[in-house]
Amino acid sequence: MKLRILLLMFSTGLLLSACIKTPALKGGDYAFIRSNYPIVSINGVDVEPLYRLDIESGENTLMIVYNTYQYDYYCTFSWVAVAGTVYEVTDQENQYPLTLYRWDKTNSLWASRLDPLDPVECVSRQRP
Amino acid sequence: MLLVNAITSAALNAEVIPGLSELSDSIVRESAIAFVNTTTSPGLEGATLTVDDGSRQSDQWRSSLGFAAEFTLKNVIYNGYWGLAIVGGSLDDKVELTADNGEPARLDITRDVVALRGSIGLSFPVNEHFKLRPYLSLSVSDLQTESIIAGLITTAPTGNTTTLVINTSAQMLSTTGSIDALYSRWYGDNRLELSAHYHLIYTDAFSEDNPVLETQAWNDVIQLKSRYSGPTNLTSIGRAWRWQVYANHTNFISQNKISMGYTSLFEIGAGLEWRMNIKPLDWFGWQMLGIEAGVITSEHVEGYFLGLTAR
Repeated sequence: MKLRILLLMFSTGLLLSACIKTPALKGGDYAFIRSNYPIVSINGVDVEPLYRLDIESGENTLMIVYNTYQYDYYCTFSWVAVAGTVYEVTDQENQYPLTLYRWDKTNSLWASRLDPLDPVECVSRQRP
Repeated sequence: MLLVNAITSAALNAEVIPGLSELSDSIVRESAIAFVNTTTSPGLEGATLTVDDGSRQSDQWRSSLGFAAEFTLKNVIYNGYWGLAIVGGSLDDKVELTADNGEPARLDITRDVVALRGSIGLSFPVNEHFKLRPYLSLSVSDLQTESIIAGLITTAPTGNTTTLVINTSAQMLSTTGSIDALYSRWYGDNRLELSAHYHLIYTDAFSEDNPVLETQAWNDVIQLKSRYSGPTNLTSIGRAWRWQVYANHTNFISQNKISMGYTSLFEIGAGLEWRMNIKPLDWFGWQMLGIEAGVITSEHVEGYFLGLTAR
């Protein structure tokens, strides 16, 4: 009986918190990207590590680092960003350490990761 | 004279079952905890098992509904890991025993358990192929047991008794320290996954109606898993299906064979996985929904698994 009460409380909590929000977009010709790993270069310009970024629509090239204890993997993504679209970079144990997805709010309970894009290349560098 | 006693507030041990000293307190404790461990331990998937070794026939099933995933911790190399599961299982265990007077007695135990398990830990990627994942799991289990002992002559005040029915309940709090070593590598579009898992389980058991189950125990489990998967031409809603084959070995290292009739299991199977790739609550990635079928075997054990998997 106690377990049933715990399950009921957990389910109620999930339902109450279930409201997916689309990240705030800058508007105009901008798209938005968020990454679980640091973005260190934007269109060839080195930047301080970023995890969320407004990007102009059109061709973009980002370098994102996947860190491990033995190597850092510098992965370069190059794609045509569409205005008003949310992108997401994460590790999903695919062929490359990182994958870029188009993020889409399906409903208030879940979002979808669509159109997976592999990096152009991932260069590994031994950590000091 | 056949007389059935329903005892709901007695301990299942040799003292209240005169003439059956073969069924010792330690066996009662170990078998109850072993059933919970072989059902609710982290890393175990669903299964239906049949044990048949002549003097013992038992049917066991376990099933779980849960999910585990990593989450990114920014500015550090390691990631977080969490898991949550509801686990259920049942056992119908029939054992032929010998009473102290040399006459055969039959023990028929039915156990049911439902448990809630939560896990939290860290994941340390050594490189893109290999990671180590230590984590801690807490589970609360509710165990209900009905034991029927038939063919037993006792010294009950009412005279000879041939059947005893004993109902007990126990709650178990299990704390499990686990470490996973995970290796994966892609060969073209095919993927190989190898992993080793060690679980050290401390169980604290509480029972209001059976003092024998007021106990605690340490146990450990080791698992070796392998999986090979590849692409198919199938798609559903624009998402691809992948085939997979797998082989797993589980060894309940510290478990006494008398507890469940087995101490290790080997499973081999195949299935299909659908890359659904959604983020429930925009919180964690749910990449695969699969259907698997496998056969399980060990000494005196046959079984199978047929069901859905998620990861």
